[in-house]
Amino acid sequence: MQTGTKISGIAHLGLIAIAIFGGAFRSEPLPFEVREVSVISSEEYAALSNPSRPPEIAEQPTAPSEPEPAEPVAETPTPVARPERDPVPPEPEPVPEPDAPEPALPPEDAATPDVDRVAPEPVPTPPQDARPDVVEQTEVAPEEGADIPQEAQQATAPEQATDRIVTEAVETAPIRSPRPPRTRPTAPTPTPVAQAEPTSEPEPEPAPDRSTAVDAALAEALAGPAAEPDAPVGPPLSAGEKEALRVAVSQCWNVDVGGRSSQVVVTVGMSLDQSGKVVGNSVRLIDSQGGNDQSVQTAYQAARRAILRCQKDGYDLPAEKYAQWRDIEMTFNPERMRIK
Amino acid sequence: MKKILASLLLGATLFSSPLAAQDGPLRIEITEGVIEPLPFAVPGFVPESPAAASQAEQLTRVIAADLTGTGLFREITADAHIGQITDFSAPIQYADWKAINAQALITGSVGVSGNRVTVRFRVWDVFSGAELGSGLQFVGSTDGWRRMAHKVADQVYSRITGEGGYFDSRVVFVSETGPKDDRRKRLAIMDYDGANVQYLTDSSSIVLAPRFSPRGDKVLYTSYESGFPHIHVLDVGNVQQRVLEQSEGTMSFAPRFAPDGQTVVYSLEQGGNTDLYTLDLASGNRTRLTNAPSIETAPSYSPDGAQIVFESDRSGNQQLYVMPARGGEARRISFGQGRYGTPVWSPRGDMIAFTKQNNGRFHIGVMRVDGSEERLLTASFLDEGPTWAPNGRVLMFARETQGAAGRSSLYSVDISGRNLRPVRTPDGGSDPSWSPLQQ
Repeated sequence: MQTGTKISGIAHLGLIAIAIFGGAFRSEPLPFEVREVSVISSEEYAALSNPSRPPEIAEQPTAPSEPEPAEPVAETPTPVARPERDPVPPEPEPVPEPDAPEPALPPEDAATPDVDRVAPEPVPTPPQDARPDVVEQTEVAPEEGADIPQEAQQATAPEQATDRIVTEAVETAPIRSPRPPRTRPTAPTPTPVAQAEPTSEPEPEPAPDRSTAVDAALAEALAGPAAEPDAPVGPPLSAGEKEALRVAVSQCWNVDVGGRSSQVVVTVGMSLDQSGKVVGNSVRLIDSQGGNDQSVQTAYQAARRAILRCQKDGYDLPAEKYAQWRDIEMTFNPERMRIK
Repeated sequence: MKKILASLLLGATLFSSPLAAQDGPLRIEITEGVIEPLPFAVPGFVPESPAAASQAEQLTRVIAADLTGTGLFREITADAHIGQITDFSAPIQYADWKAINAQALITGSVGVSGNRVTVRFRVWDVFSGAELGSGLQFVGSTDGWRRMAHKVADQVYSRITGEGGYFDSRVVFVSETGPKDDRRKRLAIMDYDGANVQYLTDSSSIVLAPRFSPRGDKVLYTSYESGFPHIHVLDVGNVQQRVLEQSEGTMSFAPRFAPDGQTVVYSLEQGGNTDLYTLDLASGNRTRLTNAPSIETAPSYSPDGAQIVFESDRSGNQQLYVMPARGGEARRISFGQGRYGTPVWSPRGDMIAFTKQNNGRFHIGVMRVDGSEERLLTASFLDEGPTWAPNGRVLMFARETQGAAGRSSLYSVDISGRNLRPVRTPDGGSDPSWSPLQQ
């Protein structure tokens, strides 16, 4: 026999021997962790994983358990077992109401109470004094002079709950636009109030004034823009188009930084014709801030010069948007140029 | 009521703003402009007779020089003109002046009759195609033609800038000749632009710090005639002068008129201590305003006469203080590095000009009357003694060059820090004091 075959044979025999008798040489078994596992039924598991399912859907509704004695119960029931996945917090057992018929599905248009908590059965609003608890119990106050001393007991009631999650779409989707109609709201007719005999007390501020002022403000805000007949139409000027106009005028706006007119902000209105040229005499002072009359006038003249001088053959503005730039209000604010 | 209305309006505004952004006129805000002289054209004033031709030409040149000298205007010279003004009453061809980018146009005519000269003029806003203000006519003697030119320029300046003019004003100053170690000083008076210099004193004694009265008819100054500094007052009309304050064993200096022209505030040195006093010109009563062991000097009234700004070294070095005109607690207003002196309250009342010395250099600066917004307008080896133009827009001061051959001369600068330019005087000049606008 060849040496290699011998070595191989010996090695194989050794291996077989270890396989057979190896157990005799095994050391102490390694320590291992023992966990107790409770076995739950499939119904219980289903109840855990889908606790909010209404009971009537189950084929075999579980018989309601007997009401627990009116003893203080733990705030949160101990979970039976902890499933491997992140568990849904187990809901407390449904409040047993043996006499109550199975909750029927509310009609579609039934009003849903606006409550946060969702439970298999809707629970009405608890009495105000009641402490929230899963079991309802009446208040017991120790009666003075009673023969049998009674333990004081606070009234408890189940938390208010509903049996449906009402989505925003169902609850709040408006049928009509909430915006008020663009019509001038009619002023409320002041109801004639039977006045008492005139007294010597000072008369309160007349109410019609308030309603008129509020109405006017509301009407102006709501109906004003829509009612404006000259509102421009078409797309607004792009930022670039506005910037080009701004730059064009800036180049001709000469600011006397040492003068008092540099303390004045003026707003100048003007109208342009379709070629972008200022309509004759349409430049006007609309508003001003700061300075005296003389410096306002000087600031206005400088602004007017800037507008008229830089128009040349007309400002370069998109013809198709003429309605947007026919009337312009330009504010000249020298604040950033002012010497400090 | 107000709360309800306010909340309703706020709601309405919020609700309507997206709509309003698209309605109404297009709104643009311009926040950047240019700072450049405004181009103007002043074609030669039309002479109403051949005799007036030379006067018309001179007047036109002075008007143009006044305006360009401010740094706010740039003349478009006659060779660039397209249009010609040959008739003062003819309508303006705006296109001719728009073509050369003249934003303002000044037209006028000059008539001479004997020693009377009549100047008529109009100012036009070329791009608006309208007259700025209305036509005006001045009549005066042929000798005073320069003043008439200044008055026309003041009107043009005022109509375009919205501020009072300052061309028809004079400056009193110390005229200096000779080297530094043997300098001869005398009082001189001139037009604001350096023309028409006249000497008010001879150079036999040292004179310092002349100050105009509010009406421009008198000048206060300090003279060493007696060997010690004492205050004198001089009548500009007849050049008569007298000593105002010469108490035995004292030195008086740094005088300045109150806005009422009846009171003079000044420094009086007595027994080694210098304090501020006022002198009532009518009664000769002297009132002490400060009482401190430090040096108080260089007082200047606010235009309303209610306060006085002055310099004092009470804090250890020279700083500026403001106190009530009748004396009382002084409030320090200068807090920057260096030393501050010679404060002068602006005729507008909104600023105080001063001399500042810091890091071996001198500056003319301005600050708000509460000491805020300090700005230095100049810097040199030696700048000092600012004085305000009547409109509070320009400062004149003295600048001295370095070295034994150093010379002091007058400069003016706009309060924006621009347009620093020398004022031409026959000799050296220092201690300028600007008069009010002449009537």
